[in-house]
Amino acid sequence: MEMPGVHPADDLFDSIILADEKFRGEGYQEGFEKGTRRGLQDGRRHGASHGAKLSSEISFYYGFAVTWKCLLQQSTDDKSRKRVKALDAVLALIQNCNLDDPQSEKLQDETEKLRAKFRQVCSMLNIPTDFRDYIKVAEGTSF
Amino acid sequence: MDKAPGRADTRLRSGCLGSEVPALLLRPPETAGPGGAYIADRMANFLLKCLNLWLTEIEKSVESTPDRQRSHVCWSSAMKEAISLVQKLSAHPDSRCWFVSWSPSGALLASCGGDKAIRIWGQEGDSWVCKNVLQDGHQRTVRKVAWSPCGNYLASASFDATTCIWKKKNDDFESLTVLEGHENEVKCVAWAPSGTLLATCSRDKSVWVWEVDEEDEYECVTVVNSHTQDVKHVVWHPTQELLASASYDNNICIYKEEDDDWECRATLQGHTSTVWSLCFDVTGQRLASCSDDRTVKIWKEYPSESGDLSWKCVCTLSGYHGRTVYDIAWCRLTGALATACGDDAIRVFREDLAAHADEPVFSLAAQVKKAHCQDVNCVAWNPKEAGLLASCSDDGDIAIWRFQEED
Repeated sequence: MEMPGVHPADDLFDSIILADEKFRGEGYQEGFEKGTRRGLQDGRRHGASHGAKLSSEISFYYGFAVTWKCLLQQSTDDKSRKRVKALDAVLALIQNCNLDDPQSEKLQDETEKLRAKFRQVCSMLNIPTDFRDYIKVAEGTSF
Repeated sequence: MDKAPGRADTRLRSGCLGSEVPALLLRPPETAGPGGAYIADRMANFLLKCLNLWLTEIEKSVESTPDRQRSHVCWSSAMKEAISLVQKLSAHPDSRCWFVSWSPSGALLASCGGDKAIRIWGQEGDSWVCKNVLQDGHQRTVRKVAWSPCGNYLASASFDATTCIWKKKNDDFESLTVLEGHENEVKCVAWAPSGTLLATCSRDKSVWVWEVDEEDEYECVTVVNSHTQDVKHVVWHPTQELLASASYDNNICIYKEEDDDWECRATLQGHTSTVWSLCFDVTGQRLASCSDDRTVKIWKEYPSESGDLSWKCVCTLSGYHGRTVYDIAWCRLTGALATACGDDAIRVFREDLAAHADEPVFSLAAQVKKAHCQDVNCVAWNPKEAGLLASCSDDGDIAIWRFQEED
């Protein structure tokens, strides 16, 4: 970028004049990197906490369904058959959940479906849905 | 008058809105005392400004409705039909009366309200009297009641998050069972035409379908979360096992059973605010909805290749209702459409049968402007006696009306 007719001594002043620009650029870069690291950490923490929440919720449904299925398996009456069928539906929904892919668009939809099915099962089994420590209820925030 | 041409102000001045309004405002008062002339002038000016603002508003609202809908705007009309009051009943004194429902035989009327009670009304001689009071079933407001198609059961939905099933025994009702499961306020309950399915909806955004067996046992067959907000109303198709729901999210959902589960198969979008109520016509080919956006919409089912349900809005009734339209009822006997509105009025619309099926035309046949002292919450046509209409209101009253058509 050397302009014709400019004395080389000007270079000395250039470094002073352009210092502002230079340091601003470096500072920006440094800050950007720091921010990226910080963002990544925050994001990871956020993701881990919400992932754990979702995972514990779904694991709770899984354990619940498996346990009740075991309890009901011996009975062969119509009512128990229906209940087992509904429990199977819960298990199937868990199996088909895209839990490995947190970015899946279907995840939200599938989780909602699972929650709805769980509420139906609770109603069928005459169990009050008082598991607020384990599951998400309508008033809470979404994950 | 409903097809008065041109701008709103010319129509106004030509007397469509009643000639006394502009005449009064345009002429300065003749009897103004000393100094009063100035004030009178200021007053007249101010009123003229208000009038102009009002005219622009009217013009805007007229222009914003498409041509097809403009003919529905009815400013005043020489009504051939009339609604007359049969009787007013202080049904839920010092409280609100939320909903009324006729028994399938048309002999009984059930009402519910903010006093947590359900009342059953029947005719004795010429007047309607309270036959039963169903109390202690609910801890909070009873929002809706529904008769089973056989007329032997009554379901009540309450803000206490439960739904009660009452069984009629001789002349009394006994609480049969309580359906629990919703997280909070149950907003509506509806019985399928077969009598074996029951639908409930709640502020928890879900719609539940319950199955009834021979032993009067109720079991939840599905929970569907298709709305993003409070679900206000559920209604069954008159002949098929098809369920429709209306919500605070401005949408209507239509559900169908699919391998043991109920799924939302169509979402009807169009209203710009809460949809408060829904009603199918006698054949079930059309659905009427009413909303907080002060309009009524008529939806029609169209065949679709994908197998999914396809419902399109074929008519919008706007310009009639001054406030939220809370309820709508389509008479199965006469085809008349009644609405309950937050402006304290009830209105009855008739369909112009000469119009094309894809572009139905409804016109206001009759209205009672001060039907109640407060918001009208519900209207219901008697299923057996044509023209007999019940309405109820925040003022706690039930009114029974007769809609007569003069031919």
